[in-house]
Amino acid sequence: MASTPDSDAALIARAVVADDRHAFAELVRRHQSAVRACLRRLTAGHHALADDLAQETFVLAWRHLGSYRQEAKFSTWLYRIATNCWLADARKRKEELLGDATDNLAEASGTAFTADAAVPDHARGATMKLDLERALAVLSEGERAAIVQCYYHDLSHEEAAYVLGMPVGTVKTHVLRGKQKLKAALAAWAPRQDS
Amino acid sequence: MTADRTSPRTSPHTPSDDDWLDAALAADAREHGSSYLDDRGFTARVMNALPAPVAVPRWRKPALVALWSAAALGTASALPGVALDVGREAFRLLAAQPVSLPQIAAVLAAIGVVTWSAAAWALRSD
Repeated sequence: MASTPDSDAALIARAVVADDRHAFAELVRRHQSAVRACLRRLTAGHHALADDLAQETFVLAWRHLGSYRQEAKFSTWLYRIATNCWLADARKRKEELLGDATDNLAEASGTAFTADAAVPDHARGATMKLDLERALAVLSEGERAAIVQCYYHDLSHEEAAYVLGMPVGTVKTHVLRGKQKLKAALAAWAPRQDS
Repeated sequence: MTADRTSPRTSPHTPSDDDWLDAALAADAREHGSSYLDDRGFTARVMNALPAPVAVPRWRKPALVALWSAAALGTASALPGVALDVGREAFRLLAAQPVSLPQIAAVLAAIGVVTWSAAAWALRSD
């Protein structure tokens, strides 16, 4: 008879109380995909960087596991650490921030982003996905993080605020501005309004 | 954390204007969420990157016991008269008290419990 897998809480307790590294390894195996995918989205597809940050995330999680109070889901707590790692790395690298990206996006939408009329039907999905990824890449850090947490992880604004360590109102503002910029960048994909 | 499950998808931001963008984000999120990233040695790399466990030297307990024993013997030998005087005085005080046998037994039991608990705590296995 197959044994029931331990819950996250049980594994965390074993890791904290008994310094059980096998239990922590199981937690890493369970959550590595979600954390790496989250960081791939935040780093705009830089897979190697995302994996390095994911590794840093789990090492930090191990060091601070004793302070995890289960006020949020373990995965949400990991997203919070991952987001902080990404923000710290982005600041360290002095990543080019586009405070007002609308102008750049307008240029980009005219040149780099593909117009829907030029794309055959079978390639529309993939092209749209590519354009969306590129559009997300030019959002500010806060906007991108808010969009990723709210849409890709399906978190509520309150949960996203916990993950991002910012007020709920700021999260809502980031989401709103991010979507405005995405709309401008992806204008070619918007349905045409016949007047 | 009390999380309001109000999804941003249901937020009141001009829903009709954002429908196509919401749909695009939702489709990308679905694809993104359904694809599982193979471990490919990631967990092993994380475990190798963890700080090494703190190794407590095996000689710690015997060394501590020896140290405290030496300190106690040193104190007792340095102050023989004082220890004896304190003992005699305590005995005299106790003997002058109208104590019953059950009280003496209770005190001895309490001393035993404290002593053995302290010994068990000091010699516990980590």
